[in-house]
Amino acid sequence: MSWLTPHVATQIVDFSSAMLLLTCFAIVAQRRLSACVDLFALQSLFLAMTAALVAFLTGSRHIYIAAALTVVVKVIVIPRVLKGVIERLNVTRELVMKINVPASLLICGALVMIAFFITQPIIPFGHLLTRDSLAIALAIVLIGFFTMISRQKAVTQLIAFLVMENGLFLGATAATYGMPLIVELGVFFDVLVAALIAGIYTNRLQDAFDSVDTVHLSELKE
Amino acid sequence: MIAGQSIFQAIVLTLAQAIVLIALSPAIVGLIRKVKARFQCRRGAAIFQPYADLRKLFCKQPVVSTTTSWIFTATPYIVFASTMTAGLLVPVFASQMPLNFAGNIIAFVYLLALGTFFLILAGLDAGSPFGGMGSSRESIVASLTEPAMIMAIFAIALTAGSTNLSTIVHRTALLEGIVTDPASHVMALAALFIVALAETGRVPVDNPATHLELTMIHEAMVLEYSGRYLALVEWASGIKLLVFLTLIANVFVPWGIATSVTPAALSIGLTVYVAKVAGLAVLIGTIECMFAKLRLFRITDLLGVAFILALLGLLFFYILRG
Amino acid sequence: MAILLLLTLAGYAVGLLLPLCVPSRPRLQNTLAHGLAGFAGVAGICLGTIGLFAGEPFTTSVPSTLPLLTFAIRLDPLASFFLLTISSVGLAASVYALGYVTEFYGRVPISLLGSLFNGFLLSMTLVVIADNGFFFLLVWELMSLFSYFLVVTEHEKSDVRYAGLFYLIMTHVGTAFIVLTFLLLFQGSGSFSFEGFRRPDQAFSDGMRTMAFLTALIGFGTKAGIVPLHVWLPYAHPAAPSHISALMSGVMIKTAIYGLIRVYFDFFGGHFPWWWGFVVLALGAVSALLGVMYALMEHDLKSLLAYHSVENIGIILLGIGAGMIFHSYGLEQLAALGLIAGLYHTLNHAIFKALLFFGAGSLLYATHTRNMEEYGGLLRRMPWTGAFFLIGAVSIAALPPTNGFISEWLIFQSLFLSYEMPSLLMKLMLPIAAAMLALTGVLALTCFAKAFGISFLALPRSSHAKHAEEVPWPMRIGMAFLAASCIALGLAPMLAVPMMDRVTASMIGTSIADRMVALGGWALAPVNVEFSSLSSPVLGFVLAATAALGLALVALYSGTRPYRYGKTWACGLNLTPRMEYSATGFVQPIKRVFSTIYQPTVKLETEFLEESRYFAKRRRFEFHIEPVFQKYLYDPVITFMSGLADRLRIVQAGSLHLYLAYMFVTLVLLLLVAL
Repeated sequence: MSWLTPHVATQIVDFSSAMLLLTCFAIVAQRRLSACVDLFALQSLFLAMTAALVAFLTGSRHIYIAAALTVVVKVIVIPRVLKGVIERLNVTRELVMKINVPASLLICGALVMIAFFITQPIIPFGHLLTRDSLAIALAIVLIGFFTMISRQKAVTQLIAFLVMENGLFLGATAATYGMPLIVELGVFFDVLVAALIAGIYTNRLQDAFDSVDTVHLSELKE
Repeated sequence: MIAGQSIFQAIVLTLAQAIVLIALSPAIVGLIRKVKARFQCRRGAAIFQPYADLRKLFCKQPVVSTTTSWIFTATPYIVFASTMTAGLLVPVFASQMPLNFAGNIIAFVYLLALGTFFLILAGLDAGSPFGGMGSSRESIVASLTEPAMIMAIFAIALTAGSTNLSTIVHRTALLEGIVTDPASHVMALAALFIVALAETGRVPVDNPATHLELTMIHEAMVLEYSGRYLALVEWASGIKLLVFLTLIANVFVPWGIATSVTPAALSIGLTVYVAKVAGLAVLIGTIECMFAKLRLFRITDLLGVAFILALLGLLFFYILRG
Repeated sequence: MAILLLLTLAGYAVGLLLPLCVPSRPRLQNTLAHGLAGFAGVAGICLGTIGLFAGEPFTTSVPSTLPLLTFAIRLDPLASFFLLTISSVGLAASVYALGYVTEFYGRVPISLLGSLFNGFLLSMTLVVIADNGFFFLLVWELMSLFSYFLVVTEHEKSDVRYAGLFYLIMTHVGTAFIVLTFLLLFQGSGSFSFEGFRRPDQAFSDGMRTMAFLTALIGFGTKAGIVPLHVWLPYAHPAAPSHISALMSGVMIKTAIYGLIRVYFDFFGGHFPWWWGFVVLALGAVSALLGVMYALMEHDLKSLLAYHSVENIGIILLGIGAGMIFHSYGLEQLAALGLIAGLYHTLNHAIFKALLFFGAGSLLYATHTRNMEEYGGLLRRMPWTGAFFLIGAVSIAALPPTNGFISEWLIFQSLFLSYEMPSLLMKLMLPIAAAMLALTGVLALTCFAKAFGISFLALPRSSHAKHAEEVPWPMRIGMAFLAASCIALGLAPMLAVPMMDRVTASMIGTSIADRMVALGGWALAPVNVEFSSLSSPVLGFVLAATAALGLALVALYSGTRPYRYGKTWACGLNLTPRMEYSATGFVQPIKRVFSTIYQPTVKLETEFLEESRYFAKRRRFEFHIEPVFQKYLYDPVITFMSGLADRLRIVQAGSLHLYLAYMFVTLVLLLLVAL
């Protein structure tokens, strides 16, 4: 693959980082939960592509495994679980939003700018991944966190948590060419278990309150 | 004026571009309808049906409402003129348009706004509630698209170092622009695509095939037109669609355009242009079948996304360069 | 030049005094007053033009018996530019008023109206050519007083009196801050002359400079109508007679812009930190956006125009703020561009706002109501007024090929050229300001589509509108003059830009006219032709050519068969005015989308028929917008002041002995202190 010079590879990595951010914004702007899940799967696919490219160019084998795990866990398994939860509970839309979509989009835009300003003094020590990717990773984490705060349905909060984890993975790959494999494996299993637990807890929420609105959780205190 | 072009060449080139725009736009509209029909498992009308429709409309006697004033009968000409003038500012098959010096992207946006202004007035002129409703809805959609359009086009202009459209296209064609700044171009392209859908009245913003009062925006403003006036308005909206597709195709993927004014380059430029625009038309037809039309007050969400994407494109440009 | 100056001032002065001497002949008083004002206006235009291109500023002064006060006059390019603006609009207003004040015959003493009009124009002329701080304050105060008396012309109406009082208080608050500014400058220079302000003999401390910046901004900003100091505008402008509203909105608030440029660029010599320009820019952006949003919700035509003045002042400040920011970074040519853009918009706004107010005055003259919901179908009954109002509406919506488009284009260019700046924050903030300007522009387009469409198109909504007649010819001529200027300034900006360039050359020291006018004078190209260029005459020509092309297509295919008439389909019923869209209904989607800013409250009451609850006999719909500034800014201040005053009331107990005791105690203390 002689055309895959470092310059071209940097461009491709830049492009997929941009697509990651794009899908992030699409998730924030979406009301339909099944669309959110699809967008999350798409985002994880782009993430796997980025990781695979990094692995190819730096020759670190373990990132390949991380990329493959991403595809299996985040593109196939977790979306399946989530879609099952959505279907079983028949909850399709985020109806009431405390912060409406244009306002949350503006706040997310401001968060991206903050992320860029924070990472300005950091000098990247690798020519492959620019400072862009680190900033985008931080931005995705912040956006995920913000979405978790501003949404009410438990399923959306879970997706936001997973998006945060995506951002962390991108950041790790960008800054240090991946974490040690054992850490990666641990994180993946944690995420999988978290998704399963969240699925169970959403079911319980539904059984207890006949709705998956997490606002009701405050009724639990006496 | 471009160096090396005589006045005569310039006039011929401009006229040729005008003729291409006028002649090609009904075919593009027909192509989109054909794609939608195929998706709906119908045969659909022929791609060249809109030409026949226009011909029929020209031959019919127009009926004008007694409530209207001269604004009503003047508006089709004004809309046609402003859309064509905006179209002459965008390079179509040759990247160096003689009218490049006459206006830049701000002029382009405001020329289209001139057409919108008079259409809004024409909608109010007949005194029917449908017209007023269309005008009112169109004004809110236009209000939300303009900031996004300005930001998106500005982000692209920065990459090429100019706000004149021909200069942007010419420099990008010679320089392989999209590879050097993918992030900001991706964002700007997404934003501009959403804006194009909104401005030309396509699903998911407006349904061009409906006449139900609950759903129509553009169609409501032109509901009272008939005969040659309706023909001009329809033609103008087809030209507007073609101009936006041209803008997207030639600014982001300009390769193939004629960078020098020789017959060989021009014919290649024309063929490539038709292919690109046809491809975009098929894409739009597909999107129209994939999504449902949004409620009027959900359009703000979509256009807010477009604005943020454009803003991010700008941000990425500065971060990359700075 | 001295002769022209004398003619101008004498013309206004005679116009001020003479009508008062002529007893009870309204027509003669009218002709005298406005004829003299027109004559002085022509002299002023000539004076302004000469002053712009003169090599040396023209100065003259008359000393007075009071210390610190000399009646000094200086005509430099900045003053000449504003003089030109004032005189042109003044001339148009004089011609217009010849016809308009016939409405006031018998109700209002025309001699007073005419002489106050002249006094107003005289004071405004003196404001821009004054060269001494004290003199400036004197004529500024005169200007405020004359305008107050003109605002309360129809003082028998209580809302007019309220508006006048509100205006008087707000303008005096502003004047107080301007006095503070001049006192601070006096501190630094030791004399009250502007020449002294320019060359302070001790260096200003940073704290004092910031104070002066802020007081000047608040003081001149109150007069200009910057948010949040704009609240008097929507009261004062509708209350005044229309030709006065045109002068106030078109010209008087521009004297505040003159003051700002004079203080920032001339007195401070252009040495200011970047955040001053940023504050001005931010205030401009916010004023523009909020001004147009509140304008959209108005259905009184003159209040709508008043809010648009707030918006346009915001746009002017965008240009000036950008110029200030570039100047503080040392980018002189961009600074000149920003300043030129701001000045061009000042001239344009004066012209098209006056035109629109004249149109509103004509509508008021013909229908005797200001409520837009009662207009309709007036284009057929008042074709000239309608056509001129349309030109004004297209200009204020910044559509090509009118002058509003040129100045907004220039402001966009100066905001877009921010990529050359070293600071990342500024590089992001200026395009965001450009996006806000784009939103403002398109909302202004909507607002004027509504204003023109509801007033002039479709069926008349009331009997007032049904019986409207076209207005007398002086009013039409006044409007025609301004409409022609709009088109002329739009098609030939290359002739106007060198004028403004003279102003920036004197302020900043950079002249960019030869770089801006490119391609043999056909195009405007700020910075260079490659980056952006605009050729307004060519665009106008192409527009006309493509319209002709459309006609050709029509002729080609069908021949121009005459159309036949039919009735608008109204679902089988006869079309009545009740079926048309109303102004409130037109902006309802905008009200919903921007409801976070408007905070609307809606009330709907229905009275049903006794027989059945399914049929409504009467419905009443009310909707209010939250008056944010009044509720959160002005009311608390007023409450605080009233509370303070209440508490101080204890001092005035009403007893004579107590007052004598106060005087006695004060006397004793003074004697002790003098020891």
